[in-house]
Amino acid sequence: MNRRDVLFSGLKLAGGALLANTALGTIARAQDKQRITWWYETATPEQQGFIRDLLVKPFTTKNPQFDVAVDYRGTELDKQLRVAMLSGSGPDIVFTAGPSYVAPMAKAGQLLALDDYAAKFKWNERLLPVFLEMGRYDGKLFALPKTYETLGLFYNKTLFEKNGWTAPKTLAELEALAEEMKAANILPFAAGNANWRPANEHYVSIALNAVAGPDNVYKALTGAQPWTAEPFVKAIDTLNKWWQAGYFGKDYFSLTDEQAFALMASGKAGMMPTGTWQFQRVATYFPQNNAEAGFVGFPTADGIEGPVYPLGVGSTFSVAASSKNPDGAAALIDFIFSDEAYGAMNTAWQGEWNMPLSDLSKVKIGTEVPALYQEAMKTLAESVAANRYGYTTWTFLPPATDSYLVSGMEEVWLGRSTTADFLAQLDATFQGEKEEGKVPAIPAR
Amino acid sequence: MHCLYLVPTLLINVVIILIPALMTISLAFFRWDGISDPVFVGLANFRALWPDRVFWTALTNNVIWTAIFLTVPIAMGLLAAAMLLVARRGSSFFQVIYFLPMVIATAITARVWQGMIYSPVSGINGLLNRFGIEVADPLTRTSTALYGIATVDLWHWWGFLCVIFFAALRQVPQEQIEAARLEGANFWQLMWYVLLPGIRPTITLMMIMTVIWSFLVFDFVYILTQGGPAFSSEVLSTLAYRSAFYDLAVGKAAAVAVVISLFGLAATAFYIRAQAKEFDR
Repeated sequence: MNRRDVLFSGLKLAGGALLANTALGTIARAQDKQRITWWYETATPEQQGFIRDLLVKPFTTKNPQFDVAVDYRGTELDKQLRVAMLSGSGPDIVFTAGPSYVAPMAKAGQLLALDDYAAKFKWNERLLPVFLEMGRYDGKLFALPKTYETLGLFYNKTLFEKNGWTAPKTLAELEALAEEMKAANILPFAAGNANWRPANEHYVSIALNAVAGPDNVYKALTGAQPWTAEPFVKAIDTLNKWWQAGYFGKDYFSLTDEQAFALMASGKAGMMPTGTWQFQRVATYFPQNNAEAGFVGFPTADGIEGPVYPLGVGSTFSVAASSKNPDGAAALIDFIFSDEAYGAMNTAWQGEWNMPLSDLSKVKIGTEVPALYQEAMKTLAESVAANRYGYTTWTFLPPATDSYLVSGMEEVWLGRSTTADFLAQLDATFQGEKEEGKVPAIPAR
Repeated sequence: MHCLYLVPTLLINVVIILIPALMTISLAFFRWDGISDPVFVGLANFRALWPDRVFWTALTNNVIWTAIFLTVPIAMGLLAAAMLLVARRGSSFFQVIYFLPMVIATAITARVWQGMIYSPVSGINGLLNRFGIEVADPLTRTSTALYGIATVDLWHWWGFLCVIFFAALRQVPQEQIEAARLEGANFWQLMWYVLLPGIRPTITLMMIMTVIWSFLVFDFVYILTQGGPAFSSEVLSTLAYRSAFYDLAVGKAAAVAVVISLFGLAATAFYIRAQAKEFDR
């Protein structure tokens, strides 16, 4: 062995040792970290990037002892989650499909009570109390809503200005405007359920709150009156009248909500009764049509103080009872409810990360976020804080009642059922589920 | 000792088929939301199906579906296969073309038809509408939704039958075909007296499998309409799925699944009998 060989061998040994050291170090560090697993629903690659860069990275930088694994499970997440929870192999963070799923999961002992974490992280002070009530079962806190949303009326402001129209404040004004639009060959309501059949319930929720009023809906949800009561008959009749008058157009079952939104932005449709999650489409479709979007609360019938903002929670966060890292899961949930995460996520991805923080004054949202969105979210937060809110069916109805409502309303629209029969079956299903304890917690008004 | 050879397949059958089947049957007698503990309710789930009009709509739709698939694709497949046999030139090319829809994933086929053909915005229907030819999206009407879905499934399915029938027809002795031709038989006589009797076992098997598959149909219906609008295209499997995963009524879903299995069982029994007769000959 000459000198060169000795030197080379020495270098190899040293390099090998260094490599082994580095690799072992990495493995050891990875093993030291406590993993938090979180299954999320559908997200585009861009949206997955927001979750990675604006939630996971800042959290793990501040909490280097944790390592977060986000698994995107698509639209069938809730079904996969339920099966996984049964076998005790679910993720640490349980992302339910809404408050109506919390009670049965809590009852089955699949969720961890979060009261200690609520005290530790001061959730009781930092979050709007209504939402904490919705996550309670048997007096204990089991879930926090990921985002809350409301239904209202988007409209094409440019089209309205061109025609001298103003946003309607009453149902009479809305109907008069819709007739004017029809006469001008403009579709009154941009709407479609081709990609999401339960979109039907957005309109049922609007009708129940705008025509029957939130007080009546509250009474029905708490069992004080049946769903067959006169105010609900009037609400469903009104919704059916709009359908029969052609406000929804002939392509409702063929259009996706995105196609419908594009129709409104292009001026082929004038208004779009839908949820605040549609704010994410404003920047895509309005500028290309040189148009401006408008958003107002949905008009109400005579005698109902309006506008009413029906409250919706499409998903909640819980911690699995079987979690090996409940502290980490709770810490990540707490980070998501921070001012920093709220500001960052709402700057990048509007409409899906409106966490129910009680004080938004310290939140910094990017200047590029449309003022319309910020205004709408502020109005909604104020309405909820002042107890002036309504109820969305997907948040407050138990599963089978809600599922029937989606197809049942189609039956009324398409003449295969009557309002009376629809409401009778809705009520029978609701009362059955109420007896079984499946109605989610309804916060007192 | 030779019995041990059966163990691997038996084990797979027990784990993958027998245990889930027994669990499904037993769940049909329980009320269960898929989350909490099941409660025994006897025959209540089956009794609840009797007055349920959606169940009867779904069952009727399955029967209509079976009738369509027992006739249209089998007739199309037989005719095309016989023509491939008679006109041998280019038969390989046409086999590939006919079979192609079968290898495309169901979800893609469904989305292509929904978005590129039926859609009044982005589809051929929309193009026709712009030229003043009014064509409605069949999936959006209660009277046509089921047939709209069946059309998509037929497009994807009939080529498969054609290839199967063509393979079977090639086994018919060439002498019989030549003899019939020498006797002056035309195409239809050749079909009726030689080819069809020659592949009868294959046709029987395909028809029985069609009955079983028709009662299991789910994918195209779920992707295209989810049983709507207004339950008009609901079939038993979408009803079971909705019951289990949307209504959280797993017991009812299991009862519907048992009904589906009964039809499959009847078809299987018929097949075994037909096969036994075939062996006896």
